[in-house]
Amino acid sequence: MVANFASKRLGKELQKIQSSLPPGITLVSAENFEEWLLDIQVLDQNPLYQDQTYRLRFRFGSSYPIEPPEVTFVKKGDRSIPMHPHIYSNGIICLDLLGQQGWSPVQNVESVCMSIQSMLTGNNKNERPPGDEEFVRSNKQRPRDIDFYYHDNAV
Amino acid sequence: MSRSMQLKEEGNRHFQSGDFVSAEALYSKAIIADPKNPALYTNRAMARLKMSLWDSVITDCNQCLELAPDNMKAHYYLAQAYLALHDYDDALDHARRAHELCARTNDKSLAAVTAQVLRCKKERWEDMERRRRREGSELEIEVLALLERERDGVLRDMTDDGEKKEVEAEWEQKLESMRRVFEKARAAEERRRKVPDWAVDDISFQVMVDPVITKSGNSYERASIMEHLRRHPTDPLTREPLTAADLRPNLALKEACAEFLEENGWAADW
Repeated sequence: MVANFASKRLGKELQKIQSSLPPGITLVSAENFEEWLLDIQVLDQNPLYQDQTYRLRFRFGSSYPIEPPEVTFVKKGDRSIPMHPHIYSNGIICLDLLGQQGWSPVQNVESVCMSIQSMLTGNNKNERPPGDEEFVRSNKQRPRDIDFYYHDNAV
Repeated sequence: MSRSMQLKEEGNRHFQSGDFVSAEALYSKAIIADPKNPALYTNRAMARLKMSLWDSVITDCNQCLELAPDNMKAHYYLAQAYLALHDYDDALDHARRAHELCARTNDKSLAAVTAQVLRCKKERWEDMERRRRREGSELEIEVLALLERERDGVLRDMTDDGEKKEVEAEWEQKLESMRRVFEKARAAEERRRKVPDWAVDDISFQVMVDPVITKSGNSYERASIMEHLRRHPTDPLTREPLTAADLRPNLALKEACAEFLEENGWAADW
């Protein structure tokens, strides 16, 4: 694989993102092709997330988009980690499309943001995943290497 | 190990460490020890590419091709050398030949070679564009000069100053409209820069060179989908099982993409 495969594709994605993004998604920074920050908001009246903005960090490897990006929520200033039964309090997101098996190279930064947005929109449980504390304390693995059990894809 | 192989290995070590001059000398010694091994010529060509010795690269590659006509690397290096020498047609021919060989043997370099094909297309188009622009601006200068000569001829035969001013203004307007015509033609060129979605590979986001179609009816650049299938034998959209043997070339789309690039070489990125 050519080393710059990822940067070529990301360059094209960035061009598109800079000219237009769906409502509720804004680009915060994309200074290189390794790490981008985007803010997302939930646009409907879901009381769990109303008037809140959350920050997503994308990390790309040199094999992107053949390999998935690493996507997590980050805590910074007034950006908190949204409450969700599939989002750990350290920002790690349990979403099948971000895993080795669920990822597809036709996904992109914009489509990932939209999936996460709709994952929040459809949620009404004000809770963390079971075992959150233990997971946050003990996990040393990178998000994409964690073998999540996607028990409930409806959420 | 034979003498030539020893020299080649030693050359490879120098190449890896970035000492291309020593690598080249060692490959030369290896060739003297065994002039019938095609790989020695491509190795030396690779070192010479790094040293920008384009003509020597071409000689090496041609010697390799005499021994092994289907050597992918020789065609790939030839494409690079010809491109550096601004011989765009030969560069593209060899890039295409390398791509064909890569696709046939499922070579790992398919992505790099696909990028080289696009690069050749882009540079060839840019060259044609430069020439077209130059010719366009030469024509503009010529036409404007013609109009000015015509005006001066008319003015020469006039004596009345008031009338002269009127005629001058009239001609100035003609010149101005002519300039606008040329200006407009240039602006129209700039505006038409949009890549249609059908030409773009959904994995690399590049214009396709060799599109292949999946069982579900979607087309991808061969190099991209092969890279995906190496890790996950599934259709990227439907997630149904998919293998390289299921792929078919999409010849109509290939032709349409080639035609689009012919007119819009700026769209061929690398």
